Amino acid sequence: MAATSELSASLEDYLEAIYHLVKEKQAARVKDIAERLHVKAASVTGALRALSERELVNYTPYEIVTFTRSGEAAALDVVRRHSALKDFFVKILLVDEASADSAACAMEHSVTRPLLERFVHFTQFVEDCPRAGTKWVRGFSYYCDHDSKQDNCEKCMRTNLDEVIQKKANKGAQAMTEQQLGSLKPGQKAKIVRVALADAASRRLVEMGMTVGTMVEVIKVAPLGDPVEIKLRGYHLSVRKKEAEGIYVEQAML
Amino acid sequence: MDKAITIALAGNPNAGKSTVFNNMTGARQHVGNYPGVTVERKEGGCTHNGFDVKVVDLPGTYSLTAYSIEEVIARKFLIEEQPDVVVDIIDASNLERNLYLTVQLIELGVPLVLAFNMSDVAAAQGHQFDLEKLSALLGVPIIPTTGHKNKGTAELLDAAIEVAQQTKGTNPEMVRYGQEIEQAIANVVDKLEKSNKLSYSRNRWIALKLLEGDDDVASRHLSAELRPVVEQQITEVEHKLDEALPTATASHRYGLISGVCTQCVRSTIERRHSISDAIDLVATNRFLGIPVFMGLMYLVFWLTFTVGAPLMDLLDGSFGWLAGVVDGWWAPGAESALRSLLVDGIIGGVGGVVIFLPNILLLFLAIAILEDSGYMARAAFIMDRLMHKIGLHGKSFIPMLIGFGCSVPAIMATRTLDNRRDRLVTMMVVPLMSCGARLPIYALIIPAFFPGAWHAPLLWIIYVIGIVLAILSAKLLRSTVLKGESVPFLMELPPYRMPTLKGIFIHMWGRGWLYLKKAGTIILGISILLWVMTSYPKKTEFQRDYDAEIAALQTSATTELQEEGLAEIENARMAETLSYTVAGRIGHALEPVIKPMGFDWRIGTAMIGAFAAKEVFVAQMGIVFSVGEADEDSDDLRDKLKDNYTPLIGFAIMMFSLISAPCMATIAITKRESNSWMWALFQLAGLTVLAWVVTTLIYQVGLLFGLGVV
Ligand SMILES: Nc1nc2c(ncn2[C@@H]2O[C@H](COP(=O)(O)OP(=O)(O)O)[C@@H](O)[C@H]2O)c(=O)[nH]1
Ligand SMILES: [Mg+2]
Ligand SMILES: [Zn+2]
Ligand SMILES: [Zn+2]
Repeated sequence: MAATSELSASLEDYLEAIYHLVKEKQAARVKDIAERLHVKAASVTGALRALSERELVNYTPYEIVTFTRSGEAAALDVVRRHSALKDFFVKILLVDEASADSAACAMEHSVTRPLLERFVHFTQFVEDCPRAGTKWVRGFSYYCDHDSKQDNCEKCMRTNLDEVIQKKANKGAQAMTEQQLGSLKPGQKAKIVRVALADAASRRLVEMGMTVGTMVEVIKVAPLGDPVEIKLRGYHLSVRKKEAEGIYVEQAML
Repeated sequence: MDKAITIALAGNPNAGKSTVFNNMTGARQHVGNYPGVTVERKEGGCTHNGFDVKVVDLPGTYSLTAYSIEEVIARKFLIEEQPDVVVDIIDASNLERNLYLTVQLIELGVPLVLAFNMSDVAAAQGHQFDLEKLSALLGVPIIPTTGHKNKGTAELLDAAIEVAQQTKGTNPEMVRYGQEIEQAIANVVDKLEKSNKLSYSRNRWIALKLLEGDDDVASRHLSAELRPVVEQQITEVEHKLDEALPTATASHRYGLISGVCTQCVRSTIERRHSISDAIDLVATNRFLGIPVFMGLMYLVFWLTFTVGAPLMDLLDGSFGWLAGVVDGWWAPGAESALRSLLVDGIIGGVGGVVIFLPNILLLFLAIAILEDSGYMARAAFIMDRLMHKIGLHGKSFIPMLIGFGCSVPAIMATRTLDNRRDRLVTMMVVPLMSCGARLPIYALIIPAFFPGAWHAPLLWIIYVIGIVLAILSAKLLRSTVLKGESVPFLMELPPYRMPTLKGIFIHMWGRGWLYLKKAGTIILGISILLWVMTSYPKKTEFQRDYDAEIAALQTSATTELQEEGLAEIENARMAETLSYTVAGRIGHALEPVIKPMGFDWRIGTAMIGAFAAKEVFVAQMGIVFSVGEADEDSDDLRDKLKDNYTPLIGFAIMMFSLISAPCMATIAITKRESNSWMWALFQLAGLTVLAWVVTTLIYQVGLLFGLGVV
């Protein structure tokens, strides 16, 4: 992004801070920004003026700060760089969060895009590859703590293989626990894992709060067998089984 | 110097909107319909702090998508009529779902105040709210209220007036939809900005709605040039997200809501089984649910018709007395068109409608209790399976049941149906549920033609035919004129609540008054028309010289014979008079049309009178058969019928009375409730045609099997 490449490291930090404040509190105020970055309010106003000149934020004194569209994109870009780096530090290098954060904050301004991609991919790769994984990373931690010693490599390989096999079997089992909302029995609780509603009318289910991740409980089935009474988000809703067909749930493990 | 302000009340159904509305406006309210649609529009007013406040109650909705007619209306009102401030009534005990509408109102950019209603319930459930923080996060003032105790109303009005005077709105861009959707929105906004001069946030909203596939917005803003852009964006985003756009945006809104709620709501106690759950253990129980429902319905009937009967008699008596008083203004026996108009036309006609008022008030009392307590939703829950088979909604059951009593209150009871299409279908078929006024006809005819053992089964068959026809007609309507995707049965089962006296009274009286006022005016007109039709033109030259006959009788016979003979002559004169009137002529003219059903002009004439009220049929038959004052117990009339017609014709008469053109009160109320003459006339014509077809079929098939000859 053209605008971003011209930005100084400090301005990028401001964008980042504003982004987080908007996310947390819906609005960014000068006072909050100053607090977050440990700088004086006067420096904040200066920076905001610079950002507003570049049309990245809307800023007039004494009002809350909001992003322009390009501003939001720029901020998102910084935030993404930050979190990619932090992910790598925490997940792969097993550095504690606070130091990871400050290191990421320092590096995010200079890291090039291709290099950043590499960081992201490597983190992903380590997590996914059966030969690496979290166990392997923990081995790295052991290695760091014990003067670069590698014990029990055969055993490690063997258990790893077992885990790969298990994981495969489990994935199959997991797919089987996914079921339709209407097939739950009274008293059963489940979490919505997938919403596949074809026609516009039944999308209303989502508007009533049946979003992915929501916990639902079937309270009872009507005396004639349909509809069913479902409790979600603290209230009771009646739905016809047929109309809830596109809602897939996974039963909560007790 | 009063400044005028318009407040629109929005909110989920059951959040206490009507209660807050009543608190704000007191008795100053006006109930009507939104133009062209069958959605109730309530308006009221008050003065507060020197402001002339007009309050409009928007239809209760869960969302502002253009999904149901109610939502379209609410949104249209907000966009087009631009109220000075919108008060969103929130059920605080059900915060997350209620905030969904709030978020959409914020996105719409209307000046907004939140009323945190049901705060007492929420507190009892152990929820604590950081209202200051919530208000800051949402950027809207929040006023806690307790509707049924009338708490917080003044503060709410204060806040509403304050917001109404500010120019600053909310932050319509509060919800962020994630990179992919945001990018798509930005692309569409770019295009929109080139073609219109709306503000950025307005265009953002339009873009979002276009991407969500909102038909209503598309019809206004989706130009031919824009269409491919929007379509391409939708395919792209849906492919990337692997999710339909409307569900994705809804999830984002709920995401924001969950985030806000975790920051502002603390639940102190684990919610245990409430009283409400305990009631439901019985009320919607697998085995007890249906018996309890039936029992309650019986209670409603009993209250309406049994408790109402003495009151009805009382009113009937008063109208009789009134008629007597007016009659007394003229010398006995004097011929006066004015007297006849007043006594027979107006007092008789309007009185015939007004005497239903006790029934209607009692019925609405029962419905108001069922509705406000939360049982109505359970009834729909229990009956939905059955009603869904006919293409209707669980809530249609109650109006249809009430239809066995009388179609008029039944049609008014369709107001509990939220969906316009369901409501219209229900209205159209309700008259097929054989109402109480048709009972006199059956009571007259069945014993006239059929042996005692047949009486009960025949009555039962007639009722069943009505029900079957109602089901078939509903299905037919659902797949033709009132076609459309069936509405998902998403109904909240609110916790049971103790209804308030004030709420019930306003409910009951509001609807009762409507019945009196509107139906009264139309019915007055039709009564006069029917009176004219059955009175004019006056016959002056008779076939027999009645006066001479009377004179001859008075000189010759004994007193006893005199009386009998006189009555016979008077009746013969009346029959001849009636035959000469417009109604009589129509009866004659109709003969070719009604012949296939086995009817002659006499039945035709009586049917026209029956349009005033079904039970009038019996009296009219009495007149045409010259047996004088006839009621359903009249054996004279039965003999005459037996002499003139076959049992098959008797059955045909009952069929036709069951199905055909419901009484004028029904048509008038259908006009009122559907807000269109079109539907009222459709009902009139449709049922009459149906009656003709069915009756003709029965009669002709009967003839084929030799049933016509006795
Ligand atoms: N406990 C409690 N009940 C309320 C409150 N406000 C309204 N109600 C009751 O809630 C029920 C539904 O209210 P109503 O105004 O008809 O809801 P509407 O559907 O939004 O119009 C009625 O029985 C009211 O008496 C409140 O603040 N607390
Ligand atoms: Mg209401
Ligand atoms: Zn950073
Ligand atoms: Zn009736």
